[in-house]
Amino acid sequence: MSPDYAPLVPLMVVLPLIGAGLTLAAAGRTVVQRAVSLTVLVGMTGLAAVLLWAADTQGPQVVFVGGWTATEGIVLVVDRLAALMIIVSSVVMLAVLSYSVGQGASSFDEESDGHSPLPVFHPALLVLAAGVTTTFISGDLFHLYVGFEMLLSASFVLLTLGGTVERVRAGTTYVLVSLLSSVIFLAAIGLVYAATGTINLALLSERLGEIPLGTVALLNLMLLIGFAVKAAVFPMSGWLPESYPTAPAPVTAVFAGLLTKVGVYAMIRTQTLLFPQARFDDLLLVAALLTMIVGILGAIAQDDIKRMLSFTLVSHIGFLIFGIAVGSTHGLASAIFYVIHHITVQTTLFLVLGLVERVGGSSDTTKLGDLARISPVVGVLFFVPAMNLAGIPPFSGFLGKVGLVQAGVAEGSWLALLLVAGSVLTSLLTLYAVAKVWGRAFWSENVAGITGGGPLRGGHHQALEAGVLVPTAALVVVGLALTVLAGPLFDVATRAAVDLTLREPYLLAVLGSGGAP
Amino acid sequence: MVLTFIGMHLLAAVLAGPLVRTLGRRGFAVLALVPAGTAAWVATALLGPVRVERTGWVGELGLELSFRLDTLAVVMSLIVSGIGALVLLYCAAYIDPRSTAGSPRLLGGALVGFAGAMLGLVTTDDLLLLYVFWEITTILSYLLVGYLTTSAVSTRAARQALLVTAAGGLTMLVGLVLLGEGAGTYRISELVAGPGASGAAVAWGVGLLLVGAVTKSALVPFHFWLPGAMAAPTPVSAYLHAAAMVKAGVYLVARFAPGYADLPVWQVMVLVLGSATMLLGGFRATRQTDLKLLLAYGTVSQLGMLVLLVGYGSEAAALAGLTLLVGHALFKSSLFLATGAIDHATGTRDIRRLHGVGRAAPWLALAGVLAAMSMAGLPVLIGFVGKEAALAALLEPAPGWLSLQGVAAASFVAGSVLTVAYSLRYVVGAFGPGSPGGGSAPGAGSGAHSWHAPGPLLVGIPLALALGGLALGVTSTALEEVLARHTSTVSLLPGPEVHLGLWHGLSLPLLVSVCVWVLGALWWWRTRDPERATAPLVRVDAGRAYDRLMRGVDRAALESTGFLSRGSLPVLLGTIFVVLLVLPGLQLALGGTTWPSRLRLADSAAQVAVALLVIAAAVLATRARRRLRAVFLVGVTGYGCAMLFLLHGAPDLALTQILVETVSLVVLVLVLRRLSGRFPDDPSVLTRRLRAALGAGVGLVVGLLAVVATSSRIHEPAGAGLPERSVDYGAGKNIVNVILVDIRAWDTMGELSVVLACATGVASLVWLREEALEGVRKGLRSARGARAGWRARPVPTDTGSLPTSRWIAVADRLDPERRSVILEIVTRMVFHTILLWSVYLLLAGHNQPGGGFAAGIVAGLALCLRFLAGRGYELGAALPVMPAAVLGTGLFIAAGSAVIPMLLGSPALRTWDAYLTIPLVGEVHLVTSLLFDLGVYLVVIGLMLDVLRSLGSGLDAQIATERETAGRGTR
Repeated sequence: MSPDYAPLVPLMVVLPLIGAGLTLAAAGRTVVQRAVSLTVLVGMTGLAAVLLWAADTQGPQVVFVGGWTATEGIVLVVDRLAALMIIVSSVVMLAVLSYSVGQGASSFDEESDGHSPLPVFHPALLVLAAGVTTTFISGDLFHLYVGFEMLLSASFVLLTLGGTVERVRAGTTYVLVSLLSSVIFLAAIGLVYAATGTINLALLSERLGEIPLGTVALLNLMLLIGFAVKAAVFPMSGWLPESYPTAPAPVTAVFAGLLTKVGVYAMIRTQTLLFPQARFDDLLLVAALLTMIVGILGAIAQDDIKRMLSFTLVSHIGFLIFGIAVGSTHGLASAIFYVIHHITVQTTLFLVLGLVERVGGSSDTTKLGDLARISPVVGVLFFVPAMNLAGIPPFSGFLGKVGLVQAGVAEGSWLALLLVAGSVLTSLLTLYAVAKVWGRAFWSENVAGITGGGPLRGGHHQALEAGVLVPTAALVVVGLALTVLAGPLFDVATRAAVDLTLREPYLLAVLGSGGAP
Repeated sequence: MVLTFIGMHLLAAVLAGPLVRTLGRRGFAVLALVPAGTAAWVATALLGPVRVERTGWVGELGLELSFRLDTLAVVMSLIVSGIGALVLLYCAAYIDPRSTAGSPRLLGGALVGFAGAMLGLVTTDDLLLLYVFWEITTILSYLLVGYLTTSAVSTRAARQALLVTAAGGLTMLVGLVLLGEGAGTYRISELVAGPGASGAAVAWGVGLLLVGAVTKSALVPFHFWLPGAMAAPTPVSAYLHAAAMVKAGVYLVARFAPGYADLPVWQVMVLVLGSATMLLGGFRATRQTDLKLLLAYGTVSQLGMLVLLVGYGSEAAALAGLTLLVGHALFKSSLFLATGAIDHATGTRDIRRLHGVGRAAPWLALAGVLAAMSMAGLPVLIGFVGKEAALAALLEPAPGWLSLQGVAAASFVAGSVLTVAYSLRYVVGAFGPGSPGGGSAPGAGSGAHSWHAPGPLLVGIPLALALGGLALGVTSTALEEVLARHTSTVSLLPGPEVHLGLWHGLSLPLLVSVCVWVLGALWWWRTRDPERATAPLVRVDAGRAYDRLMRGVDRAALESTGFLSRGSLPVLLGTIFVVLLVLPGLQLALGGTTWPSRLRLADSAAQVAVALLVIAAAVLATRARRRLRAVFLVGVTGYGCAMLFLLHGAPDLALTQILVETVSLVVLVLVLRRLSGRFPDDPSVLTRRLRAALGAGVGLVVGLLAVVATSSRIHEPAGAGLPERSVDYGAGKNIVNVILVDIRAWDTMGELSVVLACATGVASLVWLREEALEGVRKGLRSARGARAGWRARPVPTDTGSLPTSRWIAVADRLDPERRSVILEIVTRMVFHTILLWSVYLLLAGHNQPGGGFAAGIVAGLALCLRFLAGRGYELGAALPVMPAAVLGTGLFIAAGSAVIPMLLGSPALRTWDAYLTIPLVGEVHLVTSLLFDLGVYLVVIGLMLDVLRSLGSGLDAQIATERETAGRGTR
């Protein structure tokens, strides 16, 4: 009898929340804040690793909070998909936090490490961490919403750090759009409860099969719209490039990595578990195609690297939706693999962009030049994930893309083949956008007179401290590890996709064993 | 083993930087050892059996690290590794490590990495792995073409080469997947040996695959990138853009020809594009004045020829093709490296300025002449042997001359004529006496760069390569023995039997060859004047088409982004509403919705009245132009909801809702002090009507959804059994509280963090300046001090005011004109009572109406009262701590209470209860969830304190400061 790992599940949320409470109460004592946050995220990463192992070898890890049954209370479920998501999100958040902490006292984005008058960065980041995990492990539709709210409120705080006019404007856009999507989600939850009398995902999975199909389709559509806003699916994607790029580098990094993926995760979960009989695959395929193309055209049109990356972020959400909508296990597995890749690579790139800003004083390609010679390290750190983003082999972005293309070809309908063509075209245009940035910022003449010291701050040039370099490099290495270990990882993703398609393992874990009386 | 060698290349590429930094240019010689060793190892496999190695990588994708060393792979590996080693060695003499124009470290790493990627490309047996190596070579080529990173020409050429080849590569990827999925295997050997392929998917797959080959090998219409890529350093051009990378397309065609050469799409693409490329490249080459560009166009032409031959489909053509492939690798790299030596020695590659190089560097000239002879197909070099074999294979086209094969044969002859012409142009231009105006010293005419003799390596390596061509020409029968092992597998189309050799008697191919030499010489004679303008052959320039395309993409990007991603908030929100209206609306109308047969609109008249009130308030709120009015009207909708809760029999919910609405009103009013009275935007009538229609439409759709959803229910709702369960398992009679602190406490905990985040976020926006916050902290410290002092002794009165007027703690600090004694007295009298009540609500909440949330808000309202009576000073006196501390402690307690049961081995947030008998008080029912509720209580108080302090006194301070500055300004 192997030990029971399920009791560890709640810690994934409780730890960061305790940390948030402590860091807030310890406001002003930066050292305490840093120690608490780092401890919490290291702990979460370790827990997530254990849970991934447990979920993969022993099936879904289920916790009935407070001992209430599935019909009554909240269930937390860590199946393979959730475990993959929590480990990758913990790792990138740990990297981002290390980067923030490593910036040093006279940092470029000083707000992002407790140096504003009210040191809210650490508590907000920990609430964000709790929110992300909550979303992934929730076995309850309303609790999923709570996770979204946690994300939303914490990200609003992080987005407006420093309170400059443009950040507040960006924050306003972000909050209003997010609130609207939350309201849609909440309305959908109300409707779901009205139609089925439960919001437990496993019970819903059973009950939705028993009520009229027309109603089920409507419920799915409402949920999809809510999630699509979160995930920045065209035509509801315009908010993202408006809000992300203004935040400090580590904040944008964590946003880019995680926030939209939470929406994607919710889509994967609901489409497979709740609505296998009433899916809108063709609609999603069209949306995926438009998201890819419109997004990447947006990326090409940008001069600012942050904005460019924000648009590629939108564009590549299209890949994920493609994987979900193509409907096969292979497509789903590829989408899961691609999510993991995309979280890592987008976070990495925005962190690297923080380095670029330090070295070049800007993220605007018209003000940059010759960076590859001024700082070869930053050059390498940018080039590798940038190529990964563009889906250049042998990197993980390529592997995920191949899986999607295979799934599309195997599906064989003209719409799926159109998506295959669209994703290939998107890859090419991504490469174009990346090459444009590389050519302008890392090659070409140094018109702006960059010295490599970065902007003056308090009388000192900002050199690249090890504190920011090491976390960024570590994340680049994680990206490479995704490539080297792609075999086992793709196997887990496939097993996760099989679980999702079958539904049985999840339902059995939640409903089969019941709960405490 | 192959994997090991590739790994060694990768390792060498990583170590190249430090190696070149410490050893200087000699580092290149060390790097050359890796491909040299590889070549030596591969050579041992030349005549042995086919070696196969397979290692798993991503099994789910059919992507495995499999390598298959058959003859084609071995021959190609020898070319890429052997020439790779020589080129690296050449670099050791060629590269100036002190130059700052490019990075020699990058050059070394990229070159050796490239050699590894090429090795993988030509040996792998996996379709997808082939693509992996294919794109790696593309990227390395990009970095190497852009070697002079600050030169706009270089970087532009690099990007062009990248995009063209990557576009082809991605197209190829789709083709590969089509073939792989269709055949159910990604192993090349199984695919090619599989049963005769047919069907639309295969045709598409093969066609797309060939697009990859065509772009990589710079065939028409994608040939334009190769001359541009000459911006790379010359050794790079010799290796990537003559010997190795551009051969990848040829290799691909050769690899797949045994399986697909008889498909119509294959025949058309290979023969037509091969022919056209051969002619176009050859023609352009005869008009160049830059030796490197001449060679580049020559390469384009030869690549067309090679693709034509290896893809022709007959055994004879394949043999000729492979022979010429080997020959081309030798002579073209020799010519490039010789050109590099000339460039190094004279500082120019322009045939109009070069003169006397042949005399000054005879060995170099020998290398150049030998290589050019091989290129022109003169005996006894390998080029001659290959051309003869090719003519023998092509000259009797099976379907007759009026066919693709016939056209190919004619183009081959014509292309050979051009080849002779530009070979002559090269030799004369590079090593000839030059134009009569030149001086006596060799080198560039203008003398900007003084002649220095090329070193032994710069001469020796081109010479060695050229002599290799000679040696193979002489021993061509042995070569045939090797190559035939592969070409015997190409048998899809019939063809004559052809053998390699220098003398086949007075045959037709020899006669044609002689004619080709004569015609070629004549063509050279007619076009020999290098000063003549180089007019384009055709008006349609593919390079310009590329430029136009890219400009079009840029413009489309700008316009579509300007149109679709405008980022205006009303548009963003409007889009979401439109989607919400259209998609569920359509689904409702057309999606087979089950409508209820009977609809009960309301339970009672009171409900209808409240609903009408709420609707009216909502409509009026949207019409309001004044902020305060809108705030109050929205408040009415909230109170209306509370009424609905009450009518449904949920007084707890109603109470909470009313408290929340009240607090919201207070907060909004506090904020409104800083805003103008009216909404700033003034949309047009049309916009307002559209918005109203959209809002009404969305409301209607959601309302209908609610009707459909509620009527679909057949299951018992979760709430049905809860009242009993909350008593026997949750130990509480107030079900709302049991839900909040027990059944769904996990939700509550999450929402507490939401409250915490929002509160701190608001505060952090108000307290942007350290000084302002410092003022607050100081105020709190003094408040704490005063409090301690107050307890110790009677209040000192520093003014003559009546001590009896001190109803509140900080009365003496307030502006007398703004004080309200009545409010102060009321505050004094009820503050503690309210606090006591809130504690009661907290403790009793589990069984009676109340609970931590309501209790917290009540306490908060008490604080509100203190704030209203005595502004921020009074608030500080009431609770002299920072809100963050209260919030943080609250969340800590709540989340911590979730862990305690876990430590005892129960599920998180498990509740226990116990009955204690306390003297005087009596029996007390103690429930552990009270601890959690205490966390809730503290967070809510913290929120209220935070709101009052930041939006209340924080804004007070800001307003005061602004008044002061404004006042100073007017004075």
